[in-house]
Amino acid sequence: MLEFQQLTKRFNNTVAVDSVTLAIPKGQMVGIIGRSGAGKSTLLRMINRLADPSGGALLHEGRDVARLEGKALRAWRSDCAMVFQQFNLVGRLNVITNVMTGRLHEHGLVSAMLQLFTARERAFAIRALDRLGMAHTALQQTDTLSGGQMQRVAIARALVQEPKILLADEPIASLDPLNAKVVMDALRAINTEDGLTVVCNLHTLDTARAYCDRIIGMQAGRVVFDGAAHELTDQAAREIYGAEAGEAFQEGLTSTALGGHSPASAEGARGAPQPVRAAVG
Amino acid sequence: MKTLTFASIGPAEIAAARADNPRAFGDPRRRALVIGSWAAILGYLLFSFWLFEFGKLFQASDNALRMLTRMVVWQDMDTWMYDQIYVGIAQTIAMAFLGTLLATVLALFVAFAAARNTMPLWLPRQATRRVLDVLRGVDQVIWGLVFVRAVGLGPLAGVLAIFVSDTGTLAKLYSEAIENIDRKQVEGVEATGADGVRTIRYGILPQILPVFISLSLYSFESSTRSATILGLVGAGGVGMVIIERFRAGLFDQVAFVVLNVLVVIAVIDFVSGKIRQRFIGERGH
Amino acid sequence: MSTHALTSSSAVGPEAPDAVALFERHRAALIRQKMWTNLLFVALFLAMLAWSIDVSRFFPERLAQGIPRIFEYFGTILPNLEWDKLFLPRGEDGRAVPGSLTFWYSDLGKYVTLIFETILMAITATILGAAAAFALCFVAARNLAPRGWAGVLARRTLEFCRGVPEILYALVLVFAVGIGPLAGVLAIAIHTAGALGKLFAEVNENASMRPVDGIRSVGGTWVEEMRYGILPQVLPNFASYTLLRFEINVRASSIVGFVGAGGIGQELNHVISFYSDDRVLAVLILVVLTVTCIDLISERVRHAFIGRENLS
Repeated sequence: MLEFQQLTKRFNNTVAVDSVTLAIPKGQMVGIIGRSGAGKSTLLRMINRLADPSGGALLHEGRDVARLEGKALRAWRSDCAMVFQQFNLVGRLNVITNVMTGRLHEHGLVSAMLQLFTARERAFAIRALDRLGMAHTALQQTDTLSGGQMQRVAIARALVQEPKILLADEPIASLDPLNAKVVMDALRAINTEDGLTVVCNLHTLDTARAYCDRIIGMQAGRVVFDGAAHELTDQAAREIYGAEAGEAFQEGLTSTALGGHSPASAEGARGAPQPVRAAVG
Repeated sequence: MKTLTFASIGPAEIAAARADNPRAFGDPRRRALVIGSWAAILGYLLFSFWLFEFGKLFQASDNALRMLTRMVVWQDMDTWMYDQIYVGIAQTIAMAFLGTLLATVLALFVAFAAARNTMPLWLPRQATRRVLDVLRGVDQVIWGLVFVRAVGLGPLAGVLAIFVSDTGTLAKLYSEAIENIDRKQVEGVEATGADGVRTIRYGILPQILPVFISLSLYSFESSTRSATILGLVGAGGVGMVIIERFRAGLFDQVAFVVLNVLVVIAVIDFVSGKIRQRFIGERGH
Repeated sequence: MSTHALTSSSAVGPEAPDAVALFERHRAALIRQKMWTNLLFVALFLAMLAWSIDVSRFFPERLAQGIPRIFEYFGTILPNLEWDKLFLPRGEDGRAVPGSLTFWYSDLGKYVTLIFETILMAITATILGAAAAFALCFVAARNLAPRGWAGVLARRTLEFCRGVPEILYALVLVFAVGIGPLAGVLAIAIHTAGALGKLFAEVNENASMRPVDGIRSVGGTWVEEMRYGILPQVLPNFASYTLLRFEINVRASSIVGFVGAGGIGQELNHVISFYSDDRVLAVLILVVLTVTCIDLISERVRHAFIGRENLS
């Protein structure tokens, strides 16, 4: 159980995240939607503390992780893996070393400096890569991969952390529809097979509806919608997205057309963004 | 609308067009500015020709002509003491290698103190940068002259001169490389729960190491070039051979040595370019 | 922890052990393959190091002798300034008080004249060199050369011009036209022509050929193609490179004096070679200040220039 209590983040005079209070039970797949600048990314970065909260509390299994420092903070980060929009892999290292950086937290200092990993760690990393269909690239230099491949490597890195929670910050925003589907399928599989809690920022509505158990809508730093995917009405979605509605609905359309996960028929949504889906109602 | 021909355009047409689009006919002030700047440049050139007595160029002495002829017509090639020449060239390369290597080692440490993201404190960072500015601001030949006075004639002074001025250059370039690393990659490692040292090892080092190697090789190339002239002030290497034979009036031998140096430098550029490519890889970013 | 580590990925298919074994095989092969080249590099590096130390006679005992002498020398060129006398003017007899700034810089007038000459030398050499580079760069660009042999000839000429260091040209020219700034100006101009010519030609090679085709399609000559097709594209870059070269040339003109080719270098050489007192530092400081100031000004101008060109 991950509980947010009045969690707030201020940058100088602007409030990026405004007293968010939520509870995410273990094993749920949550999609956070909203227009750019709504505070989705900041919220996610506060969970694994790449951003420090200005106020409020964040409880994981009853323990406040919003004020952790030093060793305890790094332990928390390794429990709570992050997948980024731009993958954030080290381009000059090979794929398997990038995946094994997920084990750094457990690793002795000297062997870490000399880049000496054990055979067991390599095997573990290979299995994680294999699970995402990337084992054959293990010895390639990472910056030779395509975006979709890099994101799968990034997910493998997250997996070898053996996290309790997996955070994904716009994991498919830099990918083409086909790769977006592969990545989202992988995240969903991790959620159902391993029982990991997955919290995922998504820009497009349809992806969120297709993959997530629960959708949280944010606007100007506040939570304005919280409910199951089918409860999100067209009207509510329009309020969340405001001026970007057109774009969000359009993008959703393309990924749906290829995805085939969504109950929405691509045909019904094509043309104008007006009738988004028949299923909504 | 009647068809328009170039011949049909008369003064009336021109006046009408000018009234409609005055700016299309050129801004007189802008034109004056352009003409004025060209006149200023020309005027300055004429003045400097007078100041530097360019006339001397046209009354160049027989000496000059004789020198040019000697440079092209090579005589008594079996008495040229080639061993001395090639020892000089070897010494130049060795000086450049040692100087750059020492500078690389020192710059590795200094660079972290001069980069904004690894040295957040203002005072030590600025102090380091100013010292580096002075090291670079004094030309390598001047350093050579100074070190010749300090430690005497010979390659030691040359190595020290290259060491000092390359430290200034390399530390600055290294610190820029450190400042330009991709934050996202570092963040990715940080997000796995790695601490400071591990983050530097896996997030920063893989990014900067190839850049550092490439910069050092590049600096080695440019040092071989500049080390040639260190000898002119007595700081060892092939420059000393050049100036000795020049003073003795052996212009054909000077031309030969210079040609040899050019070839050696081209070879070094080629080899070090290959090595750099190997470290940087084929990717273009 | 360890058992869990493997169970958490046990959801993998039956071919999983195969994947690990396959990877380990590939990895072993890669390591074997890399080891020899790495060993070779290390061996080459060590050999080069040993050879360098030997050839340049960079031995510990020489170093141990030399290093204290360096500090000794830097000690002797420090000025002997005294706080209470620092700003005292010249006395009634026209002599400066020892320990004051005026004493340290008693030859300031001469230095300033020479620095002024140094800067003028750099300006003239930059203009002449840039003009020559401009004249050759279109012919030297691989995509623009009207005749193949003309391009090759131009490129070889430029290569030779920039291959030889300024100070060597200066040495030769001093012999030809006599001691004085003329030799320095010419030497720097020749080197500048080579260096800028190469850069200009590279800019031309990166220019878009579409405007050239456009001019050719309306019946333009080669010169017109260059003037209207290429020049507008490349001029801002040319200007920026020329200013950058000017900065380099200020440094160069401050050292060509070492071989008698004018500028502050002549005085610097004289002072360093014949005295070892505070005058050395006095001239050095002025040279560094000049170079730094020119760099700062030129950088400003460059940014302003490029900014304006981008706007229009």
